[in-house]
Amino acid sequence: MRKNRSGTKKAISALIFLAIGLCLLVLSNYVDELRAYQGAQIAIYVVAISSIILLTGFSGQISLGHGALMAIGGYAAVLSYSHWHLPMLLAFTFGAITAATAGFILGMAAARLSGPYLAGTTLALAVGLPSLANQFHILGGEQGLSFDIGEAPQWIAHKVGGDFSQYKWFFWVSVTVALFTMWFIKNLLQSRYGRTWRAVRGNPSAAALSGVNVGRSKVLAFTVSSALAGLAGALLAMLLGLVAPMAFTLTLSFTLVTGAVLAGVTNLAGSIVGAVVLVVIPEVTDAITSHLGSSEKITANLPGFITSALLIVTVIFAPNGPQLHRRKKVNAGDN
Amino acid sequence: MLVHRSTKRGVFAVALAAVAALAVSALPAQAFSPHTETGVTATTIKLGITVPLTGSAAPGYNKVPYAMKAYFDYVNDNGGVNGRKIQLVIKDDAYSPILAKSVTNDLILKDKVFALVGTLGTANNEATTKFVNDKGVPRLFVNTGFSGFANTKKYPTTYPLFPSYYMEAKVIGAFLAEKYAGKKVALIYQDDDFGIDALAGFTQAGTNFVAKIPYASGSQADPTVIGKWITSIVSSGADTAVVFGVSTATAAALGGAYKAGLAGKIQWILGSVGADPTTIKTLAPTALPLLNGAIAASFLPAPSDSADEYVAQFQKINAQYNKGATFDNNVLVGMNGAMLTVQALRAAGSKPTRASLMAAIANQGSKFASAGFSPLGWSKTSHVGYNGYWFGRIDATASITPLDGAGKYVLYTTDSSTGAVAKSAIARPAMPAKGLPTN
Repeated sequence: MRKNRSGTKKAISALIFLAIGLCLLVLSNYVDELRAYQGAQIAIYVVAISSIILLTGFSGQISLGHGALMAIGGYAAVLSYSHWHLPMLLAFTFGAITAATAGFILGMAAARLSGPYLAGTTLALAVGLPSLANQFHILGGEQGLSFDIGEAPQWIAHKVGGDFSQYKWFFWVSVTVALFTMWFIKNLLQSRYGRTWRAVRGNPSAAALSGVNVGRSKVLAFTVSSALAGLAGALLAMLLGLVAPMAFTLTLSFTLVTGAVLAGVTNLAGSIVGAVVLVVIPEVTDAITSHLGSSEKITANLPGFITSALLIVTVIFAPNGPQLHRRKKVNAGDN
Repeated sequence: MLVHRSTKRGVFAVALAAVAALAVSALPAQAFSPHTETGVTATTIKLGITVPLTGSAAPGYNKVPYAMKAYFDYVNDNGGVNGRKIQLVIKDDAYSPILAKSVTNDLILKDKVFALVGTLGTANNEATTKFVNDKGVPRLFVNTGFSGFANTKKYPTTYPLFPSYYMEAKVIGAFLAEKYAGKKVALIYQDDDFGIDALAGFTQAGTNFVAKIPYASGSQADPTVIGKWITSIVSSGADTAVVFGVSTATAAALGGAYKAGLAGKIQWILGSVGADPTTIKTLAPTALPLLNGAIAASFLPAPSDSADEYVAQFQKINAQYNKGATFDNNVLVGMNGAMLTVQALRAAGSKPTRASLMAAIANQGSKFASAGFSPLGWSKTSHVGYNGYWFGRIDATASITPLDGAGKYVLYTTDSSTGAVAKSAIARPAMPAKGLPTN
């Protein structure tokens, strides 16, 4: 662990992230718009899933309401962009800060709850919050609010050349944010806070005895995780071109938790796998159903069915995620 | 640590491989495209539609795409359009703007359709506008009457067909003033651009309501919401109620009023969107006593009017190609839109492009044969389709008859602005032989 903290190691990891980012951005020149769109989707899922991994995997709290926190981030970003005319980056930041504030308040309650009680509270939030949009005219009701961050800045489009579509620009933005998020969480987890969270997750009493303020630590984790969820919500609003209650359904909250479980809740890098799986499954089912020529009902329900089946299989055979499962096996061999 | 690192590398490898697979699978479609226009091959033309097949607005409207498909199949069996068969890709948006956006993405980027036809819903079409405009995809004969869609600057590729909700509200307003002067009228409307467009029309018509009851799209499924509507109507002392919502909202309002013992106490007037009696009867059988005597606005002939040459021909096609579907207003709307689409495609020439398709509607669209009673207003400068309505009364068997008697349609026309409402003569081209356009 000491090695990880050294400056060179940090610089190398930052360089690796930069390299991956550059590769992805270059790759975006060779794919069509559909893949750019899906790539952006994956990046957004990565941010959302890693916010859950941070919360559940490292601080031991469960949230079934991250869809609602994404909604807060999404609406805050859109409102600040269209009403206050904040620049895109500031609007995203504002979305994250607003969600963090909500997360802080929620975290105060969350720190006093655990297990099914916490799951229930966050679930209630996921059910109730998005429909608030119908109560306040400024939130645009079911129809939602449109959100258009525009095209890529001239100097970027000009440098890259060719047809720089809006979806490619969304892909660039999402990938940059996703990589930044991963890098941020990775560093955070290796810091004092990360160790505190793991201690609290492992054994709250022992952590308290060694001087950790358990409540404060939990609230902090909830706040950071909410900020990231808010950021993902703002990105999602950007990609969809609008925010509406239906963008942040209960299904989204569950999908994210599923993604985190598939990724392995204590495996940050696994969030990429989780995100890719979530985007690939509908593609695969689309291919299957178009070959079989099945009805719309099957097309609509097959992705959910496959995701659920994967979830069950993962929980039964690799409850800590496929990666950790393999790791443990190898470790057992070592011992 | 070694093990840890190798696992991590594995994860990245898997992720990169997946991304690469996605990327590679996209290449062939891009690299080998022998045709000059997206969605058109030597033997096929691919079109796309988004409609609610599930969810709160699905009942009734879910019949529209299958009616269109039935008509296209009929045309395909009779030689297609300039030798090309029409394929219709149907996508469910559950009446959610968000879902409409993502399935429209699929239609344009994945299915690579030539044009969108009959996409349903005001908010849904608005949600996809930016993308549709950016891609220059023609969006024909949308199943919405939002007056804004006729704005050629904001929606350059969109061709509305229905008279606007603004026009409809003005016509209903004039009708109320003519036949129900001095009555206390309540209004139930969907609280988005669909209902707000109508609200503006009523304001223009100078209609006074004793109660205005907005509802959020989808909330009509909640019995407590319906309870509130009924309480508002009763407490306002209204003796007449206008419903400007989807079919499920009309059914819920009538069902709720029946439960509250309001049968026979209120004259119901239904906007065209939620006025298909067959759908309402199916949704709320208890509403039938209230449906009997309700007045509805419409711009196409009554679906039960077999004496109408369009209805008669569409009924025949429906019986043969859309088995099991009761012929109602939704089927009529679908077939009528499909027949207009076929004429537009024919007019676009033997090598249709998106540009030639839109030019064809601008140049020849006003002469297309269609079941609507008012003329089509499409031209180089206007995207307005129909502009008129007639009123009918629904009877105990849930079929609608013009107020003056079967076949005696009285057409009221107007515009989406300050123009007056006038009674107009019905003028429409004859139905092409066998329902197959020859334009």
